[in-house]
Amino acid sequence: MKKFLALVLASMLILGAVSFAAAEEITLNVWSFTNELEGMITKYYLPKHPEVKINFTIYPTDGGEYTNHVDTLLAADAASADAPDVFTLEAAFVKKYTNSDWTADLKELGFTDEDFAIALPAMREIGQDTRTGVQKGLSWQSTPGSLMYRADLAEKYLGVKSPEEMAEKVKDWDTFMETAEELKEASNGACKMFVGPGDIFNAAKYDRKQGWVVDGKLVIDDSLLDELDLLKTSYEEDLDAKGTAWTETWFAGMNGTNEILCYLLPTWGLHYTLKPNCVPGADGSMSDDEIKKLSDENNGTFGLWRMTQPPVPYSWGGTWIAANAAKVAAADDAKKAAIKDLINFFTLDEDFLYQYAKDSGDFVGSKTVVEKIVAEGGTPNPFLGGQDHYSIFADAAAIASGKTWTEYDETIDRLWNDEATLPYIRGEKTLEDALAGFKAAVSAAFTGISVD
Amino acid sequence: MQNTKKRNANLNYDRYGYLFIAPFFIVFLIFQLYPILFTFKTSLTDAVGWDKILNNSIIGFDNFKILFSANDVSKLFWESFGNTVIMWTMNFIPQISMALILASWFTDSHLHLRGQGAFKVLIYMPNIITAATIAMLFFSLFSYPIGPVNTLLQSLGMENMPYEYFRKVWVSRGIIAFIQWWMWYGNTMIIMIAGISGINPSLFEAGMVDGCTSRQIFWKITLPLIRPILLYNLVTSLVGGFTMFDIPHLMTQGNPNNTTNTVARFIYQQGFTGTYNFNMASAASVVLFIVIVICSLALSAMLKDRDAVPKKKRGL
Repeated sequence: MKKFLALVLASMLILGAVSFAAAEEITLNVWSFTNELEGMITKYYLPKHPEVKINFTIYPTDGGEYTNHVDTLLAADAASADAPDVFTLEAAFVKKYTNSDWTADLKELGFTDEDFAIALPAMREIGQDTRTGVQKGLSWQSTPGSLMYRADLAEKYLGVKSPEEMAEKVKDWDTFMETAEELKEASNGACKMFVGPGDIFNAAKYDRKQGWVVDGKLVIDDSLLDELDLLKTSYEEDLDAKGTAWTETWFAGMNGTNEILCYLLPTWGLHYTLKPNCVPGADGSMSDDEIKKLSDENNGTFGLWRMTQPPVPYSWGGTWIAANAAKVAAADDAKKAAIKDLINFFTLDEDFLYQYAKDSGDFVGSKTVVEKIVAEGGTPNPFLGGQDHYSIFADAAAIASGKTWTEYDETIDRLWNDEATLPYIRGEKTLEDALAGFKAAVSAAFTGISVD
Repeated sequence: MQNTKKRNANLNYDRYGYLFIAPFFIVFLIFQLYPILFTFKTSLTDAVGWDKILNNSIIGFDNFKILFSANDVSKLFWESFGNTVIMWTMNFIPQISMALILASWFTDSHLHLRGQGAFKVLIYMPNIITAATIAMLFFSLFSYPIGPVNTLLQSLGMENMPYEYFRKVWVSRGIIAFIQWWMWYGNTMIIMIAGISGINPSLFEAGMVDGCTSRQIFWKITLPLIRPILLYNLVTSLVGGFTMFDIPHLMTQGNPNNTTNTVARFIYQQGFTGTYNFNMASAASVVLFIVIVICSLALSAMLKDRDAVPKKKRGL
């Protein structure tokens, strides 16, 4: 046994000595929360980089399992052999890591400002450390938001014939509400403007000038009070369906059981939410033709949807790649180059991103690739009656900002809905009480955030 | 030589016994005792966030002071505590009454109920389904504005529908208490039946010979004799009730306005959302632990079998 170990050690020494001479093998630990990146690495990255070996580790995000694993490992020994070199970050927790010392400054790996300029603005801003402005994460998927609406209902009740006309009808929140009133009158209350508070909040939070927490203080931006007013009016005047996302009410509007005009959904909402739910019985594994057939036979909504610009440019979701600061600090030049190359490949490499966008239809994070695809005529989508969704998303992505994102968003967003929005718009609490309840809940959840 | 061999054989035989009980103790020490002690320790520290879970410093009883003084954290904690007690009571009283009634029917030799096995299985069934599934089921059933219950009531011509069940305090609490009752009364009933079956039948026969009615038999013979079983049920249900988490967490998330938030959810919120206040979560767990211990001791004192007192003096 000892002899064997000695042999292994010796051979490792020899290999180590030889390695800097010729093609060396570099092992990278990559952590993620789905097998999506693993599939992309196997399909696109490894064939071009035979010298790299990837150790892939997956933990699901359910119940915080992924972040708990990352946190405990980074807290215990961030530079250990098991620790990830590169890890992916989801929208819910990306700011927690970019605003910490656990993620590496990408410039340390050799990236430059010119490299970052290719990334879409919202995605780039979210990947920055809010404290210093240093770029720490880059995204491969960008998730700009749009307003998806039923073209047939819009024409029937509002006389709207094109996405451009519809954009006029929802160009800001006031116009949006006027349209909702008009819709209520025209449809005699049968058709609702949107599903419920969640839809509006996801977009309206991009109206804010400041994020939830600035210098350790909770900030309730004035735009959020406007949002509460809008939702209260809408609730009291029956302009929305009073439902929540991911419930029966939400899906009933998608498959045409009930008439709901607008959904504020981002890129993934089109292919993974709206399309598979446009008719009962459809699912994500079916092809467009199969869904269309089912929809035509069962009064589904395939082909009835169109996309246009939402009242405020927003972004919902996204995935970022970041490097582990401790491992980068300890890495030699070859390893740094490998880490840089991996991140560069998935976030900035135009050939790959173009190919990937063509293969998957995903909306990628690089401005140049998006522009290239739009210039080529985009992606006419039969689900949208032939409308090109790429150019709509491209317009939205070019103006959406990620500046107001904080690492507290996931929890505070939920508390805003539970403690402030619902009690106030349902008339259970006055505005003052609702805001006081919200502040108390934030103060209880976060040590060190002042709420006064 | 032969003597030592024999002794060795005996020793080995003893050791096997330890081996057999070892798995339990190893698992208990690693996964139960150590975490419990760790929680006690963490409750005395400033462990906020993952990076401080191991590298923290002892700050004494400050976390407990926060829980017992007036502030946002303690308000939420005591609200949750009150909700837990309310929802446990709403579930436990019907649960134990229903279980007792069913158990006395099933064991009543007068009644000779048919299809007992089938009924027992049916009544026990909800307990087999995981709580998460049931929570999602009821969440869907009562969802608003479109949901099976609302649709059904509307089609029956009820006015004021659809009704937003999960925005009404007592309806939300009622649904949670109902689920707890529905899931657990079968289990309680089975234990009661076991307890009643353990009573010497000659006592019932003697009662019948003396002309007791079924009601008298139940109150004068059955109930006093299953007191230890009642105590067991009360204590396990109390522990289960105080640590109620899954149904409220998955179905209402403590809504509306924290009226269905439970202590276990409070601990979760403190420990695993926001800034990860492990210290406060641990302190709340310790308080909960102490409350459960006190309640259990009080219950056993109340239900103690008076005849058993001399036994205790003998050190048993």
